[in-house]
Amino acid sequence: MAINLASKKILVASAHQRMRDTIKHILVSVGAKFITTAESGVNSIAFLKKDKFDFVLCDYDLLDKKTSQQVLEEARHRKLLPVNSIFIMVTDEHRLELEISTVDNKPDEYLIKPFSPIQLLSLLEKCLTRKEYLSNIENEVDSGNLYQAIYHCEQLLQLNDKSMRLTLLKMHAELALKIGDFKKAEDIYQNILNQRELPWARLGLGVVAVGLADYDRAIVTFKGLIAQYPMMLEAYDWLAKVHESMDNEENALSVVNSAVTVAPKSILRQKKLAILADKTENIALAQKAYMATIELGKTSVHLSPSDYSGLANIYLKNNDADMALEIVNRMNYQFKNDPEAKITAALLEIRIHQEKGTGHHMAPRLAQRAYENLAALHKQYDKRITRELRLEMAKAFCLSNNRNIGNEIIDDLVKTNVDDTLFLQDIVTICDTFIAKNHAETLIGPLNKELAAFNNTAARLFSEGDIKGALATMEQAVLKRPNNHKIILNLIKIIIYSIKISNADPKTIMIAQSYINKAIQLGMPYNQISVLQTQLDTFK
Amino acid sequence: MSNTHILSSSFNSLLASSVNDIKNSLKTLRTLHDRLRDIHHDEKQNEFMQLEYESNRMYNCLMQLLTLYKLDLSQFSPTIDEYAAADILEEITNQHDSLFSFGKVEFISQCDNDLFCYCDRMLISNALSTLVNNAQRYSRSKVLLSASQENDYVVFCIEDDGEGYPESLMSSEYEQLPQLDLTSGNTGLGLFFAEAVAQLHSQANKRGYIITDNNSQFGGARFKLYLP
Repeated sequence: MAINLASKKILVASAHQRMRDTIKHILVSVGAKFITTAESGVNSIAFLKKDKFDFVLCDYDLLDKKTSQQVLEEARHRKLLPVNSIFIMVTDEHRLELEISTVDNKPDEYLIKPFSPIQLLSLLEKCLTRKEYLSNIENEVDSGNLYQAIYHCEQLLQLNDKSMRLTLLKMHAELALKIGDFKKAEDIYQNILNQRELPWARLGLGVVAVGLADYDRAIVTFKGLIAQYPMMLEAYDWLAKVHESMDNEENALSVVNSAVTVAPKSILRQKKLAILADKTENIALAQKAYMATIELGKTSVHLSPSDYSGLANIYLKNNDADMALEIVNRMNYQFKNDPEAKITAALLEIRIHQEKGTGHHMAPRLAQRAYENLAALHKQYDKRITRELRLEMAKAFCLSNNRNIGNEIIDDLVKTNVDDTLFLQDIVTICDTFIAKNHAETLIGPLNKELAAFNNTAARLFSEGDIKGALATMEQAVLKRPNNHKIILNLIKIIIYSIKISNADPKTIMIAQSYINKAIQLGMPYNQISVLQTQLDTFK
Repeated sequence: MSNTHILSSSFNSLLASSVNDIKNSLKTLRTLHDRLRDIHHDEKQNEFMQLEYESNRMYNCLMQLLTLYKLDLSQFSPTIDEYAAADILEEITNQHDSLFSFGKVEFISQCDNDLFCYCDRMLISNALSTLVNNAQRYSRSKVLLSASQENDYVVFCIEDDGEGYPESLMSSEYEQLPQLDLTSGNTGLGLFFAEAVAQLHSQANKRGYIITDNNSQFGGARFKLYLP
C-alpha cells in the first residue's frame, strides 16, 4: 500500500472502544502518528475546533445523541473542516436505506462495517489521491478566486484523464453557474446529456434556466426530475425556490411539503415548511412543522430562537397565550445567555401580555416590564445582533412610547442596507406603516446624492489624469457603500487602469482580484465582470 | 373461505414491516456482539468472526428485501453516475478479502483499467457482492469476477468451479419470483435482486438484465450482469 499517513492528523470517533482501537491499529500500521480518538459527538466537535484534521473517520454510533451525520453537518456549518480534509462516515447501514440516500450533507465517502484493513486503507488512498488531484481547484474556490478555479479545471480537463472527466466537468459547470456564465454551464450540461441522461446534469440545466429567469422551463425541468427521481431533494428545493421567485407561496409550500414527506428528518426543510405555512395561513401545518423543527433541533446546529418564536406566534394566532408563554420559557431554557434568544423572548412577552391584556389585570404592567427589558437589551447589544431582529425591535419600539429608539434603529438600518434591495424593501414597508410615508425616501435621498458626488469627483480626477486621486476617492466611497455595485465596478476599472500605466505590482493585482471576487459574491452580471477579469489576467 | 384470503390484501406490507422489525433486532444483536467482543477481545476470535459473517448475510438479505419493497412502491430511485469498472471490482474484492483468506477458495478479479460504466454504484456492488459470496460457498477452488465490454453493454461476470446452478435458477424469467423451495435453502433472492437492480439501469431503449448458465470457463456456474 502506497499510502503514507506519517504527517496526517486523523480523528477517529466511535462509541465502541473496539472500533476505535481497530481503526487506530490499522492506521498506525501504515505509519500514522497523529491520531486523536473521541467517543462522543460533542467531543468530536471540540477536537475539530481545536485542531485542523486531514482525515475524520466518524462512526455512525457515538456516545451521545449526536450521530456522525450531525457531527458532519455541524463541522461544515461552523467551518471546522479545512478545505482539503476528508470526512469518512463509518456505518453499518447501506446507503440503500432511505435515511442515508436523502441527507443533504454527504461525507467524502462511506465505509461500510465490517471492513478489512485493506478496505479502509484503499479507501483513504483513493480519497487522498482525489483530493490532491483537485486541490488547486478547491484551494482557489476556498479563497474565492472562482476564475482561477475555472482555469485549473480547464487545465486538468485538457489532460484527458477519463476517470476524472465527469467530476471536472461537474465542477466546471458549477463554477460557471457561480460566476453567472450561464451559457458555459448550459453547454457543459447539454454535452453530458447528449451522451447520457444523468440526473445531476439535468438538474444543472434547470438551475441554468433559473439563472436566466426562464422560470417556465425551470419548472418543467424540476417537475420532470421529481417524477423520475422522487428522492432527489435538490429538485424539490429548486422548484420551491422558483415558485417563491414567482411570488407563488402556495405552490412553494406544497413542493416543500412533498420534500418533507420524502425526508422528514431534514431540519432546514421543516423550518422552510413552517415559515411558508405560517405566511400562507396554514396554521395547523405551520404548528406541526415548527414542532418538528424544534424536536430535530435538539441535536442540530441549525436550531435557532426564531423557531421558538415562530411556534409561539402560532399559539398567539390560536389565542393560546399561555402556551405561547410556555414556548418562550422553553426557548430561554434551550438558549441560555444567547442575546438573540433574550431579545426574541422580550419581543414575544410584549405581544403575549398585550394579547392577555383584556382579561388579566397584571398584563399591562407585565407588558411594560417586557418593554423596559427590551430597551435594556437594545442598549446592551445594540448593533451586535442580526438586522432582521433589529428591525423587529424597531417595530416594537415604534408601537410603544419609545418611538425615538425605533427611529434611531431604522435610520441606521437604512444607512447600512441601502444597497440590499430586498431587505430595504422590508424597512421601507415598516417605515411607511409605523413612522411616516416617504420617511425612508428622505433618508435614502441624501445617501444617493453623496454616492453621485463620489462618482463625479472620481470621474473628474480621472479625466484630469489624477489616477491616484480618483482611486483614493473611490476607496473612500467603497468604505461608505461596501455593497454598491456601481462603486465596486468603477473602483475595479480604476485599479486596472492604474496597473496598466505603472508596474504590474502583485499586491495591487491581488486587491483588484479581491474586488472582482466581491462583485461575483454580490451577484453582479457575468458580462460586466468577465471583461475586467480578462483584462486583469493579462497582467498576471 | 380459503386461507389465502386472509393474507392476500396487505401481506406485502406486513412482510415488509416484519423485515424492518427483524432488521432492527439484528442491529441490536450486532451492537451487543460488538460490546461482547470489546470485553473478550483476545478470546474466541473465530467464533466472533463467524457470528459477524452470518449476521452480515442476514443483514444483507433483509436490506435487499426492503429495497425490493421500496422499489415496488416507487419509494426508491437509483443514483446513476459514471464509474470505472475496476473501482467497483476492487471494492468487492476488498470486501471479500478476509472471507477468502479464511478458506481455500482463490478469488481472481479481471478488468480493463479504462472500462467505464454508468450505474448506481452502491446497488450494483451490493448485488454483485452477494453473488460473489454465494459463489464462494458453492465453488471448489476458485471464483473469477470480471468486467468487459460487449457491444453496447458493460458486463460483470462471476464464474466458479462448483456444481453449477440447479435447473430452477437457470430460467431467464427472473421477473417471475423464484419457486418457493423450503428444503434446498436456495431462495434465489440474490438473483432476483440482481435482476431488479439491472432493470433499473436504462439508456435510450436498452435496459439492463442478467443471465445465468453453467458455462463457466472452470466448469461451474456463470452469472452475467449486463448494464447498458
